[in-house]
Amino acid sequence: MREFKIALTQIVCERANKRVNLQKMEKYVEQARKKEAKLIIFPELATTGYVLRDQIYELAETIPGTTVTAIEKIAKREGMYIIFGMPELSEKTQMVIYNTAVLIGPEGYVGKYQKMHLPTHSVFEEKRYFRQGYSPQVFETEIGKLGMIICYDVFFPEVSRLLRLKGAQFLVCISASPAVRRHFFETLTVARAVENAVFLAYVNLVGIENGLQFWGGSRLIAPNGKIIVQAKYNKEDMIIGTVDYLSIKPVEAFVPTLRDIRPEIFQELKERSEKL
Amino acid sequence: MKLTPKILEIDPATTTERIKTFIKDFVEKTEAKGVVLGLSGGIDSSTIAALSALALGGEKVIGLILPEDETYNRTDIEHAKLVAQKFHFKTVEINITPVLEAYYKTLPIFDDKERMSKGNIKARVRMIYLYYYANKLNLLVCGSSDKSETMMGYFTKWGDVAADVSPIMDLYKTQVRQLAKHIGIPNEIIAKPSSPNLWRGQLAEKELGMKYETLDLVLYGLEHFIATQEIANQLNLDIQLVESIKKRWIAMEHKRQMPLSLKLTYRTVGKDFRLPYTR
Repeated sequence: MREFKIALTQIVCERANKRVNLQKMEKYVEQARKKEAKLIIFPELATTGYVLRDQIYELAETIPGTTVTAIEKIAKREGMYIIFGMPELSEKTQMVIYNTAVLIGPEGYVGKYQKMHLPTHSVFEEKRYFRQGYSPQVFETEIGKLGMIICYDVFFPEVSRLLRLKGAQFLVCISASPAVRRHFFETLTVARAVENAVFLAYVNLVGIENGLQFWGGSRLIAPNGKIIVQAKYNKEDMIIGTVDYLSIKPVEAFVPTLRDIRPEIFQELKERSEKL
Repeated sequence: MKLTPKILEIDPATTTERIKTFIKDFVEKTEAKGVVLGLSGGIDSSTIAALSALALGGEKVIGLILPEDETYNRTDIEHAKLVAQKFHFKTVEINITPVLEAYYKTLPIFDDKERMSKGNIKARVRMIYLYYYANKLNLLVCGSSDKSETMMGYFTKWGDVAADVSPIMDLYKTQVRQLAKHIGIPNEIIAKPSSPNLWRGQLAEKELGMKYETLDLVLYGLEHFIATQEIANQLNLDIQLVESIKKRWIAMEHKRQMPLSLKLTYRTVGKDFRLPYTR
């Protein structure tokens, strides 16, 4: 599919209440389908809310698991792709958790991405609770080759670049970013789209959790850096934007960042970053 | 980083909206009927009362004016009532002198000349009045502590700082002034010298050793990991003075946290028992 609509859905989550959040997500999936969207995207940890602290041990679930099964049912019924974030419990242990983005399609579960960069500074304490992921994956679907990243990953251009080099045409960044960080994300999401000549959908949380105010402002960015659509700040909102892969070509030609990649610096980058 | 007044400038419109949303959200999530707050007639409590009324509607805000004879100041009470009138919320005035005198009379070691311990009784008695209203009427106590006094520990432990929510605790005094001006707090309230009023003639800037304009820049520098020598150089201050502010900021941590507990078992309250606030 060359051209299709997507729904960027920034929701206020009820902390630690999966039932309420899933009901809300289901309502939005139905609305998005009515607006002819093929893909709907929800924020990071959308099923539980972001600030969970020790409650996360009771909320994390395996994949597949109850939450994924419930969302698979919705995706099959509505014939849609759904991306959302959830705390994922490792299958082999009882308390090892990942901050995970899940992709579900009309045929069921497609794949997942475990967040690689876990912010543990300022108000963030993710390394206390999550194990980091090791590799970003590209998923081939009928709506193109998709790659997922999560929030703070967008500060590390190598993750998006790797996804692009693995063939992704469309990057999805789900997020839970509090208000003081807005300018970082507004800059970096555009940068990741332009430097890789890809579409990038950024979907952020809204609402207040534990004194953190999430700012929303979800956006779909074209490969030339243009903001195709942008959601409201600080309010629950769903916006529809169109992805048309044809617009990658002219950018690849006249902003030829991929042609001009210099592989020889990557080895040095690796060595230097090990010895920081 | 240049420590000039410009660095302390806030966007008052956005900040106002964010604080209003925060107050409304917290009241809704806790299923409270509104807020109660202490009104001194000073800038912090006037600002927080006005913001609460703007967020919730004046009918959900009660301001308690709690004067006592020793520091009684009619202008302050008029200021408190002026704000209530302008932002349409209720006030209740209760003179707490008889309660204070009961403490003075019954404390075996009471020393009338030692102002600090005596003054702290006043702040703590006010806290009891606020929490009675909160419990009885299902309200939240909305605190009005600002960042300057909180960092300096310039408040009464379990007294004026006691609250369920403190919406302006992350704003320095000079930033609260910008906010106050934006929402329309009368100028005479913004301009008058700050005082905790624990005794007659007590002035914040005199006790803190400098004007808030300077103190806030020192604290901003410390907040942003700037070395004390650099702060002193930039603000043309004595290094010892900047060092003493840093020392005080760190030493006062005990006033900003739950009481220090000893780790004895698996999960410890106040240490590694970590749960979020509210829904």
